[in-house]
Amino acid sequence: MDEFASRHYPVREDMRFQHRSWRIERAGWMALAAIALAGLTGVFGVGPLSTGYSSAAPLGVRYERFQRATRVSAFVFTVAPTSSAELRLHLGGRFQRDFEVTSIQPRPARTATGPHGIDLIFAKERQAESRVVIWAHSRRYGLNRLAAAADGGPAAAFSVFVYP
Amino acid sequence: MDSVIKATVVFFALWAIFRVSGRRTLGEMTAFDFVLILIIGGSTQRAMTGQDYSLTNALLLVATFVTLDVALSIAELRWPAFRRILNAMPMIVVENGTVLRRRIRSARVTEDNILEAARRLHGLERIDQIKFAILESTGAITIVPAPPDQAAPTGPPRP
Repeated sequence: MDEFASRHYPVREDMRFQHRSWRIERAGWMALAAIALAGLTGVFGVGPLSTGYSSAAPLGVRYERFQRATRVSAFVFTVAPTSSAELRLHLGGRFQRDFEVTSIQPRPARTATGPHGIDLIFAKERQAESRVVIWAHSRRYGLNRLAAAADGGPAAAFSVFVYP
Repeated sequence: MDSVIKATVVFFALWAIFRVSGRRTLGEMTAFDFVLILIIGGSTQRAMTGQDYSLTNALLLVATFVTLDVALSIAELRWPAFRRILNAMPMIVVENGTVLRRRIRSARVTEDNILEAARRLHGLERIDQIKFAILESTGAITIVPAPPDQAAPTGPPRP
């Protein structure tokens, strides 16, 4: 009797179903391996594919394109040198609403709020590039479209995708 | 609300992963498999509870898991086809003293696994003493011994 023919005694077999489930099983292994490999590339956050950069002079922002809920990520804002002794970093309303900020380095000298988000004001040296790092995590899953601007300049738009 | 959704997602994701990982996972569990199960439990538990360690959340999660489990067992009873999808089917791996090699290779079972089950369950020593060995849907191997007169009369090697 063919090895793969279905027997009916002592148990009732269905070898066609068995073959199909083996095929699905193998496809499942491939899918699991693909998920693990994709994890290495940064598609699920932290990795080469996850590093994003957006700029609108004088502001540049480096951020994690793919983030995970409850996992804190860094937003690094760099601002080109200006003659001002103050840096005004504007964060759009969505950032204020959807992100919980864990820390801001350096600490802002003061903050101001407006209809379209918040302004963080830092003391800085004149004619020096300044850098602000904000550690935050999203409270909202899915795509978050964010915007930031420095010293009243144009807004740099950037999007982060947040996994649950 | 999110606790119930998270618990449901974790329940079905874990079910799918364990189903594709095959029956060896639970049937022939080694010490390392046991450690692996603990790690899987730990990793998913934090994803479900998050920072919410409240009694309400714990009860919600437990209620969701038990409800899903009961619902699946009722579905199994009502639709037999569903049972095969959920739990796999039993399959004969030794027939009248002959190992069905292509089957055991596909099911990732070895002849040693079968002999071990034969020794453990019936004190049998050789494959030809087995009438049927069945890989059950749970992943365990069960043995139906051959009547003594049907087994080949080759005794153990004399010293």
